[in-house]
Amino acid sequence: MTSFYARWAALIVIALILSGLTYQHYQQNLASVTPEWIVKNNSSPTPSIRLEGMVKSGSLSGNLDEGQAEFQLVGDSANVAVHYNGSPPENLRELKTLIVVGQWDPAQQVFRAREIVLVTNYGFVVSAYLVAMIPLILLVFSMSRKVTSLFQVIKESKLYEPQAEFHVDSR
Amino acid sequence: MSLLPSINRFIRHIQRFKGWFGGAAALCLITGMYLGLITSPPDYYQGEIVRIMYVHVPLAHTALFGYTVLFVGSLWYLWKRDPLIDNMCHAAAGMSAAFTAVALVTGSIWAKPTWNTWWTWDPKLVSFAVLLMILAGYLMLRTMVEDPEQEGRYAAVLAIVGGLDLPIIYFAAEWWRTLHQPLSISLRGVSISGDILLPLSIMSIGFTLLFTYMLMIRTQMLYLVNLFDAKKGRLLSQVHLSKVGQ
Amino acid sequence: MWTQGKKTGVIISVLLVAGSLGYLALGNFGQNLVYFVTPSEVRALPPERTQQKVRVAGMVVKGSVKTQSDPVGLTFELTDGTATIPVVFRGIPPDLFKEGQGAVAEGHWRDGQTFYSSMIMAKHSEDYMPIELKRAGVELPKKDFMKTLSP
Repeated sequence: MTSFYARWAALIVIALILSGLTYQHYQQNLASVTPEWIVKNNSSPTPSIRLEGMVKSGSLSGNLDEGQAEFQLVGDSANVAVHYNGSPPENLRELKTLIVVGQWDPAQQVFRAREIVLVTNYGFVVSAYLVAMIPLILLVFSMSRKVTSLFQVIKESKLYEPQAEFHVDSR
Repeated sequence: MSLLPSINRFIRHIQRFKGWFGGAAALCLITGMYLGLITSPPDYYQGEIVRIMYVHVPLAHTALFGYTVLFVGSLWYLWKRDPLIDNMCHAAAGMSAAFTAVALVTGSIWAKPTWNTWWTWDPKLVSFAVLLMILAGYLMLRTMVEDPEQEGRYAAVLAIVGGLDLPIIYFAAEWWRTLHQPLSISLRGVSISGDILLPLSIMSIGFTLLFTYMLMIRTQMLYLVNLFDAKKGRLLSQVHLSKVGQ
Repeated sequence: MWTQGKKTGVIISVLLVAGSLGYLALGNFGQNLVYFVTPSEVRALPPERTQQKVRVAGMVVKGSVKTQSDPVGLTFELTDGTATIPVVFRGIPPDLFKEGQGAVAEGHWRDGQTFYSSMIMAKHSEDYMPIELKRAGVELPKKDFMKTLSP
């Protein structure tokens, strides 16, 4: 029974290490700022940041095939002008929520983006993995424990000897 | 003919190595998740959300594999009437139902950010939900019949009839109009690039091994429960007989 | 041999399986219930069917998407290779909605010329690859999209 629990403890440790590694891997992708934040801090240049917002309808112009684009990114209450210069964007479209990676230029009042990425949706990914793994692992755990305890019960109740003598004291 | 009587012995023999199946399953799933979550690249069109595929698709395949085991086992039971095969069928149905339910939920989580809906009455989705209904009916039937011989027989017939759903699920997106995308691996070729195919295959192998491991544990569990009940019943009947004999 | 309750249970479970299979055979896959119609079929819809909500699927024609900001929405064209219909959509389209990819629009075909929709779903294809391969122009083998519309 001790080795039974030791094995499960080892599995949990590995699972924790794996989730730690995954979290560390995606940590820099988790933070993003909103257009409101940019508008509030528009006087100073920023380091490379991720800005999330929706491409305003009718604002997209430039030569997409050559990797040049200009558009407005809208948040809940503010707009930010974005100049993109990089490889041809695969997923740029009006009325689409995106993340642009780059720096804020306070002199020109534009966000200079060099990369456009899709919204990461990590919440969906994490919940799909948890929904898949937790019930299955709990099921394996409870079934293995049931088997172990059944072995124990059958052994202890001496039911296992098929030809056991059986006497009932009738008085 | 020499193979036929030995299937029972084969199951008992392979049961002794079930720990290896569990270990291999854990190894494959951990490697697959490391590759799928950390080293594999995002998809050009779906981005990071494609990582849900590494659990959803293997789970769905394994659920179908589980029903195939149940289908073949039921045919075998009707032919040979081996109670161990009956236990295996009962176990396969329970495990297949668990995998089907989990595959449905993960599919729904994948559908929302890609298709923009949690559920839609698409033939592939409906036929897969019907598989869960069939398995629920099967498991209900197994609790209802008292005589084990009769229970096994009825359940086997039900499982064979329900097997009609398997090709429907698999080919739904090829035969009918669906929102669900067609098969990625088919006679047309493989439409998944290597970096994405690798974690998908490892997770597929891992979930199949996990299913096999769970099937073994559950078969053993049902066998022991039956054994325990039978022994208890025999004792009780002895008590009963000795009372009557007085 | 069986008590009454057990017998009912058996009948219920058999009915559950038979009913599910029957639903598959008759309800969902019958001739009169298809998941979506194609643009050519929409153009040929009889007038009485235009009152009902229909789903139409097709490929979003490249260069046809135009957005409006007030009210938020967009217009685009859906094609199945033989016929093309204009679609007017109110709302924010799903993120995977894209020119040259599949889309399913739910709504009404009005006046024999325009499809008004309030719900769009993205129908993605079965190929998966990293963006570097896509930029390099790699095409993986997949089912012709137009064939997935009317198999």
